[in-house]
This record gives sequence, structure tokens and C-alpha cells, in this order.
Amino acid sequence: MAVPEKPAPVAAAEAAAMSESGAQTLTVSVGPQHSGSGHMRLIIELDGDIIVNVAPDPGYVHRGIEKICEVRNIIKSIPVIERPAIIDSSNLNHAYIKAIEELQGVEPPPRGKYLRSLLNEMNRIMSHLYWLSIYGVFVGHTTMFMWPLGDRELFIDLAEKLTGARITHSYIVPGGVRRDLPQGFAEEAVKRTLYFEKRLDEYEKIFFNNPLFSSRAKGVGVLSRREAVALGCTGPTLRGSGVDADLRKDEPYAAYPELDFDVPTRKEGDSFSRSIVRMDEMRESCKLIRQILKQIPAGPIRRRAPIVVPRGEAYSRVESARGECSFYMVGEGGDKPYRVRYITGSYRNMAAIPVLLKGGHMADMPTAWWSVDYWPVEADR
Amino acid sequence: MSGSPSREDMLIQKIREQFPGLVKEARVVRRSRPEIVVAPEKIVEVALFLRDQLGFDHANGVSGVDYNREARFEVVYHTSSLENKETRDLVLAVKENLPRNTPKAVSLVPVWPGVENFERETFEMFGITFDGHPRLEKLFLTDNWDGPPPLRKEVRFPTD
Repeated sequence: MAVPEKPAPVAAAEAAAMSESGAQTLTVSVGPQHSGSGHMRLIIELDGDIIVNVAPDPGYVHRGIEKICEVRNIIKSIPVIERPAIIDSSNLNHAYIKAIEELQGVEPPPRGKYLRSLLNEMNRIMSHLYWLSIYGVFVGHTTMFMWPLGDRELFIDLAEKLTGARITHSYIVPGGVRRDLPQGFAEEAVKRTLYFEKRLDEYEKIFFNNPLFSSRAKGVGVLSRREAVALGCTGPTLRGSGVDADLRKDEPYAAYPELDFDVPTRKEGDSFSRSIVRMDEMRESCKLIRQILKQIPAGPIRRRAPIVVPRGEAYSRVESARGECSFYMVGEGGDKPYRVRYITGSYRNMAAIPVLLKGGHMADMPTAWWSVDYWPVEADR
Repeated sequence: MSGSPSREDMLIQKIREQFPGLVKEARVVRRSRPEIVVAPEKIVEVALFLRDQLGFDHANGVSGVDYNREARFEVVYHTSSLENKETRDLVLAVKENLPRNTPKAVSLVPVWPGVENFERETFEMFGITFDGHPRLEKLFLTDNWDGPPPLRKEVRFPTD
């Protein structure tokens, strides 16, 4: 297997350099201003308006969460774990709790598992909608900025009813979840998902099938299947390059083994295919929410779990909105873990950014970059 | 436990057969989670075998762990395969132990290019150097950070 070429280091101070062809190049710093998703910088070397080299420069929102987890009681770490991607908090929360439960040997009751999957799917939609609205900003489509943020409230309200919090729910705890379904939740949720599916059709008409967007996204920022795999890409970025990998299918957890859903993929590997994969995922999530509410078994929502990290090692992972979120946890018997390794989808997909931008036009950079849904805060942790 | 060897056991056996004596320890932590401990100087050979012969086509992450009481660092490469649908749940942990006073490892970027950022982070957070890494510089830490590698255990958290 060929190893993709690595971008050469670009010194920030270097205002002008020579490209391989001998032409004079210009180094442009994109960021670290908040570009819609958190602070990060891309150092881009340009030859005319062609991108010769890209070096991502993350770390502006690094919180040292792995260190914080080492000195805190496992329960107190839950809100911190959620912070890197508050729009997708329950998926990150789920991966963390799964690692603890693996070490404890605790398994949540069936109803607890269904409730976890329910909130996970709601978060997936909320996260994709946020991504889509920022994409609208990036490509200058004001309607697509407004609509998804408005429709996101449908699910934020539901999440608030279920968990008590709009975005950072801290809902999943060792042994199960914090609260049961409120009265009338199922009817309201079904109604909202059906309405939202109609809205998705409108999104397609006004944005995805609109040449204003599609002609700017098709064939732009291409990431081949081989590159995506070798670079360790994950989530919609990987599925947009034709790999049907989804942990909900490949390593089923929570209620997913009992649920019926498809894994949308596209083989083109360009910005458009990555975008449309997320669009299709939102439709699947709507179906999943209705299925969960129909099939949810009765019974307890939480099992007793000790507030202890037993001695041993665990590696847990879930499919978050941006791909695999994994925790490698080493326990030594106390109420704090010895080591927590926290790897998110954005962190892994960062490796793809230079590859898919290189050789493209500077004018295509926002479209190609944001199609990865790189969330700086989630990458920095 | 069933009588026939599990796929995790068979995987470990295959690696052991290929590298007799090189795999220092191997165990199955739980279902789909086998791990092997290899000598740091031979990790590239093992990784190439895993990639080219067993289909471990990408790395899920690289983690450093500071076992200061045992005067060693452990570097863990979690790797898995997308090639074969049936084994996608399998995550193999390839571990190496490095002495704490001279933490030098060999980079696996030529094998799995996706580990570049992870190795950079392990370098800045633990002070472990990776020989052959194309760009061993700070990743998340600020450029003017001159303190010790912050994830080492001797670096105390302010409230701890």
C-alpha cells in the first residue's frame, strides 16, 4: 500500500517560499479566529490560488481533559468529557461510560440501553444540523444557515424534556441513564421526526440539489478510499469515501443490535458525498428514533454500579456524529482512573485535511475543509 | 468459554508463530480486545506484518501511559481492520515498553500514516521521541510551553 505524501513543514514566520516547481509561493494563515466551530489554524502555502501545502495547527482550545480525568472522581468527569463537542455530548458521554462499565463488568438494563440510543440519535441529528448550518455560512448560503439552526430546536426541546438540559445532558451514567421517558414524549417525538423528514426534502431542494452548492462541492476535496483508510479517517468522512464502516453495525452496542437501519455511503469521496452522507444519516436517525420509541421495553432504567474504576484496562468506542470516539482507560482500583485516553472523530479526521486540500483552489478551501466536519474543540480536547 | 480457540487467540497465535520469541506477552483482555507486548526495536516489523499479512489497515489511536512507579512508559497502538467486515470489531493493542529515563521509540508513520498526529501528541505530552517521525514538533501545546511534558505523573494538577 502506498503511503500518501506528507506535507512538508511550513514555518509560520515564512511569508514567502519557493514551491517545488520553483515558483514563488505565499504562506497564508487561516485562523485561529473562530471560524464557526472553534479556534484552529490552517497554515496554507499557495502558488497563485493553488494550495501547495497545508499544515493544520490545532491546540487553541486544548483543555487537558485527559489530565483532568486523572485527578477527578469518575462521576465528576462526565460534564468535562461532554465539553469538547457540546452539540454531540451524549455520544462522547456514552463512550466514556462504556469504558467504565467494561472495567466494572456492569451492563445497563434493556430500557436503559434503548434510552441511551434514543439520545444518541437525537444528538446525531442535532450535531449534523449544526454542521449544516455552519456549512451554509461557509458557502454563503444564508437560508441554509438559518433553517437547520431553527429545526435543531425541535430536537433540543425534546432532549430538554428527556434529560432536563438542552445540550450538555450528562444523561448517561454508569449502570444506565438518569431519567425515564417523560409523559407524552413518544407521541411528540414521532410527530417531530415526521415533520423534520419533510424539512429534509426541502433542504435537498434548496441546497443539495442547488447548483449553487452542488457545483462547488462535487469533485472538490477528493479523498480516495485508500487514503481515507490509511489515514485512519472515521465517521461520515470515511463513509463518504465508500467504506461502509459504522460501529453501530460493526460492533453493535446499546440498543443497536435490535434496530434496523442502513449505513449510508458514497463512493466519490468529494465534499458533496461527505455532505450527502450526513443528510442520509439524519433520515436514518429519524427512523431509529421512531423504532426505539416503538420497541422500547419496560423495566428499570439503571442498575446499581459502584463509583470505582477497578484494576485493569478497557478500550471502548461508539459511533459519534463525527465518527469513532474511543476511550482507553487504565484503572487501579480507586475512584479515579490511572489514565484516560480520549480520541475523537475530529482528532482522527484532522489527518485528512492536508490531503484533501492539497492541489485544490484556495477558493474551494472552505467547502472542502468544512465537509470534513472538523470540530477543533473536539480534536483538541 | 467454548473449547475451540477464539479468533482473538488465533490472531495472537499467528503473530507468535511469525515472530517466535519477539512477542513478550500476549493476552485477550475481553472479547474483541487482544493485546500483544513487543520489543520496541522490532515494532516496525510486527506492524508491517499486521498491516500487510493480517489486514490491520489503520490505527485507531496511539496512547502513552506513564507507569512511573515501574520506571517505564508504555506506548499503545490500537489498530484494527476495515477490510474484512466480520473482524471490524477487533481492536488489537500493540504495546511497547520504554525505560523512563531514555524514552525512545521508533515511529510507525511509514506503516500507518494516520498515527502522525498521535505520535506528535505522545511526544509533547510524555517526552517520548519517535525516531523517523516526519515532523516531531508540538501539536496542541503552545509554542512557548517550556514546562515538563504535562501528562507525566510527576506533573501535579494544581488542585490535586
